[in-house]
Amino acid sequence: MTIVHALLLGALAFIGKLDLATGTSMISRPIVLGPLVGLVLGNFEAGVKIGATLELAFLGQYSVGAYIPPNVIVGGILGTAFAITTGKGADIAFTMAFPIAMLMQIIDNLLFSIVRPMLAKVADRYAEQGNPGGIDRIHFACGLITCTALFIVTAAGYALGSAHIQAFVDAIPEVITKGLSIACGILPALGFAMLARMVMSGKVLPFFFLGFAVAAYFGLPIVAIAVLGVLLVAIMMNNYGFASPQAEAIVEVEDDDF
Amino acid sequence: MTTSNNKIINKKDLKKMFWRSLSMEYSWHYERQMHMGFCHMINDGLKKIYKDKPEELSKALQRHMEFFNITAALAPFVGGITLAMEEMNANDPDFDTSSINSVKAALMGPLSGIGDSLLLGTLRILAVGIGASLSMQGNPLGPIIFLLVFNVPCFILRWFCSTKAYELGANYLSKLQASGMMEKFMLAAAILGAIVIGGMTKELVSISTPLTLGSGESATTIQSILDSLLPGMLGLFATGIYYKLLEKKVNVIWVLLGTALIGILGAWTGILG
Repeated sequence: MTIVHALLLGALAFIGKLDLATGTSMISRPIVLGPLVGLVLGNFEAGVKIGATLELAFLGQYSVGAYIPPNVIVGGILGTAFAITTGKGADIAFTMAFPIAMLMQIIDNLLFSIVRPMLAKVADRYAEQGNPGGIDRIHFACGLITCTALFIVTAAGYALGSAHIQAFVDAIPEVITKGLSIACGILPALGFAMLARMVMSGKVLPFFFLGFAVAAYFGLPIVAIAVLGVLLVAIMMNNYGFASPQAEAIVEVEDDDF
Repeated sequence: MTTSNNKIINKKDLKKMFWRSLSMEYSWHYERQMHMGFCHMINDGLKKIYKDKPEELSKALQRHMEFFNITAALAPFVGGITLAMEEMNANDPDFDTSSINSVKAALMGPLSGIGDSLLLGTLRILAVGIGASLSMQGNPLGPIIFLLVFNVPCFILRWFCSTKAYELGANYLSKLQASGMMEKFMLAAAILGAIVIGGMTKELVSISTPLTLGSGESATTIQSILDSLLPGMLGLFATGIYYKLLEKKVNVIWVLLGTALIGILGAWTGILG
């Protein structure tokens, strides 16, 4: 029976991750998955209540920008499941689910910092060949790999129990997990460098530094920086004949040095 | 010179873009984030625009494999504007294609800021508030109300973005072209794009060092010294190094593995953290 439950919970994790294939529809949240876990384990009402409790616990931890919290799907599903099977409170159940959510976070970091960027290089080759269908396939493959990983981790976590997973997580050297999360913080710089190479000429380079400096020294959010940027451009265009034919001629002499 | 009256994209294509926008975040990763999602969203449109020009199609696909990140529901807005610009590019040989990515950058930064705070920061909290208070009483309507409160406005907004942005972009661009302001516009887009990319680089790249100078009470962290000069300096430095490596055509696979290695070495030596 445990195996059947484990597989069903794994399937719920797989479906939950389809959140991101269905318009960021929030079906990954504990408040939605909790009741389904309740159905699987035969205690629907408890699932509804515990799901909501965990939802509130995860609130404010929604990944915005580059920050990913310990996995909300594994945490939500197994937190609810352990609460139902042990009959203990949601907080104790969540503590039990935590090592398994940690394991999924390590796998996520590996997928998001190495596996998917490498698959993206394959998609780049399809782009060069003018093959949009190839890009679509890589796009969905990236998502399905994560869905499958979630299925395995959730099912194995439920079947083996928290202690075994904890031992497994402990066996991974901390330098590796910490190093990966450091790499995750650095990697967006590569994306921006690629973008900069595509759109920036030497003449607009000072504006890149201007945007960076305003964000760095004044801590302004991007919306504010964009508004100031629009005003700056408007002033330049209207008052100083910036785009007069002579000025344009200068702008066209591009140089690509960073 | 041809004008933009050669409309290639129609309502049906925009509907397709709506459906294709749903998986925007499905292949997200740290390096270029939603780039494959974006490319997937407008692929069909690009195929139509560059129907008999395989080389142009390939260039367009490569353009849209560059960094992209946005609040997902607003992605089709940028998609619609992008299709309008690509269509203009197909009709006008003088079109500066780098301005397409500049406009994308200039839009994605502020739209993410507004979208995240309105949809994720406000609407989602409202949905949780209503849904969770029902669920706590064991009411099975809780999750359903939660999903409806969040998704109905989001999907309406997404539909609106999908159907309206292209028209907005196309009208604006043809006006610019008719008044001879296109060059000015492209320059403005390049400047604004650069400013926003600079701001996003500060916001989304995070590198810091836990190293300290001195010991005991008088110890200061090197990070605080760097921050007093220019916060986010290490991130800017990394961007510059990546830029140089890309210029030298170093294989990105090695760059990725090197980054992972630097992270691990940094953690091991305690230089980064």
